[in-house]
Amino acid sequence: MGEKFKKFYIFMDKLEGYVCRALLAIFVTLLFAQIISRQIFGHSIAWSEELSVYMFVWFVYFGAAHAARLNAHNRVTFQYKLMPAWLPPKLEVFTDMVWVAFNSYFVYLSYDFVFNKMNLFWKSQTLGIPMKYIYIILPLGFTLITLRVLQVNYFKFIKGEEIIDPDSQEMGSLVNQAVATDTEEKSVDLGKK
Amino acid sequence: MNDTYLIIILFGSFLGLMIMGAPISVSLGVAALSSFLYLGENPIKLVQVAFTSVGSFPLMALPAFVLAGALMEAAGISKRLVVLAESFAGPVTGGIGAATVLACMFFGAISGSGPATTAAVGMLMIPAMVKRGYDKGYASALTASAGGLGIIIPPSIPMVIFGISAIGMSVPREAIEMHGQFQTVSISKMFIAGVFPGLVISCSLLILNYIRCRRRGYQGTAEGWSFGTILHAMRSGFWSILAPLVILGGIYSGFFTPTESAIVAIFYTLFVGVFIYKELNWEKIVNSLETTTWLTGRILMILFTATIFGRVLVENQIPAIVAESMLSMTSNLYLIWAMIILFLLFVGMFMETLAAIMILTPVLLPVTYSLGIDPIHFGIVMICTLSIGFATPPLGENLFVAAGISDISLERVTNQALPFAFVSTLAVFIIAYFPEITLFLPRFFGY
Repeated sequence: MGEKFKKFYIFMDKLEGYVCRALLAIFVTLLFAQIISRQIFGHSIAWSEELSVYMFVWFVYFGAAHAARLNAHNRVTFQYKLMPAWLPPKLEVFTDMVWVAFNSYFVYLSYDFVFNKMNLFWKSQTLGIPMKYIYIILPLGFTLITLRVLQVNYFKFIKGEEIIDPDSQEMGSLVNQAVATDTEEKSVDLGKK
Repeated sequence: MNDTYLIIILFGSFLGLMIMGAPISVSLGVAALSSFLYLGENPIKLVQVAFTSVGSFPLMALPAFVLAGALMEAAGISKRLVVLAESFAGPVTGGIGAATVLACMFFGAISGSGPATTAAVGMLMIPAMVKRGYDKGYASALTASAGGLGIIIPPSIPMVIFGISAIGMSVPREAIEMHGQFQTVSISKMFIAGVFPGLVISCSLLILNYIRCRRRGYQGTAEGWSFGTILHAMRSGFWSILAPLVILGGIYSGFFTPTESAIVAIFYTLFVGVFIYKELNWEKIVNSLETTTWLTGRILMILFTATIFGRVLVENQIPAIVAESMLSMTSNLYLIWAMIILFLLFVGMFMETLAAIMILTPVLLPVTYSLGIDPIHFGIVMICTLSIGFATPPLGENLFVAAGISDISLERVTNQALPFAFVSTLAVFIIAYFPEITLFLPRFFGY
């Protein structure tokens, strides 16, 4: 049971990441199919552009939640070095709570918009889906972002784990790679073609 | 006065939150939201902007180019381009240094990111320069400085973002009355306009590289050019050279939109990486998708909040106030350009490039319209100026990457990089003062 739960937890932890990969792969393929069909067969698929744009919007807000989980959202932090050491962690928590508050208000606004203000008969132009179902990404996406922000803060300040953002992680792996290639010289396999 | 309070609320909350270290997207969003509430406007607009700002077909060029770049790296296309550039080094003084700049130009033609360019080129070229007796600090500084070319030579992600921000803004009516009709902004046009300015900056780097290498006595190889090596690199890099031709040729000929050409580039890379170079595997593809996900997610969160922020600015005529106060200081266009460039340089030192573009375009573009500056010209100057920030302290991402690769202290790289930043700035002034450098090519292609 414990093992199963762990697997489930790991899956849920990266849920938005999986969703995004799938969405990205699908809309890129869809656009490619559209190009092929137009350029080679002279036939344009009417609904493909609209569908791919909507998938793209879903991709963006799921991606924003995933980025929040990875602690990847851009902040300006060089001024932290000039502050006394106790201050930055407090500011981090404070600004994240501002973020949570902003998101909560936005979730309220978008929920209200989608479920109370939007006309159910407003349908997308070529697909004919009620726009309501497409706009649902806004309350959904911002709820997910909020949950991920809270999760990251829980890890950081209650469990005391360090969450390194992917930029610094990449930098770290670059350095390691460079040290490794330094010794073995550049062994670019040119004849591999 | 009503306006001053609004400015205090808008910029005060934005700067305050940013200094406290809030994500840029949140700082912008909260600032815009508080001015909405202050002005008593219906905040429901936020919801509509959240959807419409992101849901546009041209914007899909952004994830597509990010993905294409990541895949090209994984597929070994980038590596072969760098090797090809290296083979041109030859017997000239500072030759391998010049080859590094060339490699960044090639690489810039398939990638739209500065640090990615530095990393990919630096990984091969810094050790190669060190092997020929170059100082590690100098080698890293040169690569970091030339890495900025990644966003100037098209395709360029910052150009996509500038295009999107600029397309969404209407030209002030007074500006049209004073200066006549302006040309419309499009991403394709930006891509064409960036070519010559990219060459101007490359030349400035090449000249300084030559001077500094001669002073340091960095000679080329004794044997002269090895045509065998060049031919070999060309033959094995054939499919890599074709990649930028497919991307840019498709756009310039009008055959593809930028989004479509990025999509074609993705599938071209998949084909070459899997079937010809055989370096691309499932794991690498999944990794590329993953990187594209979080990068796009965080950039477009900023786009959403920056769009509302920009609306608040424009609806309250704040850019007009900025323009007036600039004109009250001087009406000399050259001095105004100098002020704009120095300001952008300053911002570029502290802020991430794409965020800076999204925040500053709504402020500065209307200002430049009312001064009669061409929007494409302004966009290119803005991107060139911000690219310098990649290689200046305290936030030069390229410097971090280059120092990391060569395993030396950041200070050592920074000291050596400052002269390059200086000549790049001179080059930017040339680009700003001679609009034809930027505007000739798009006109020539009939855009």
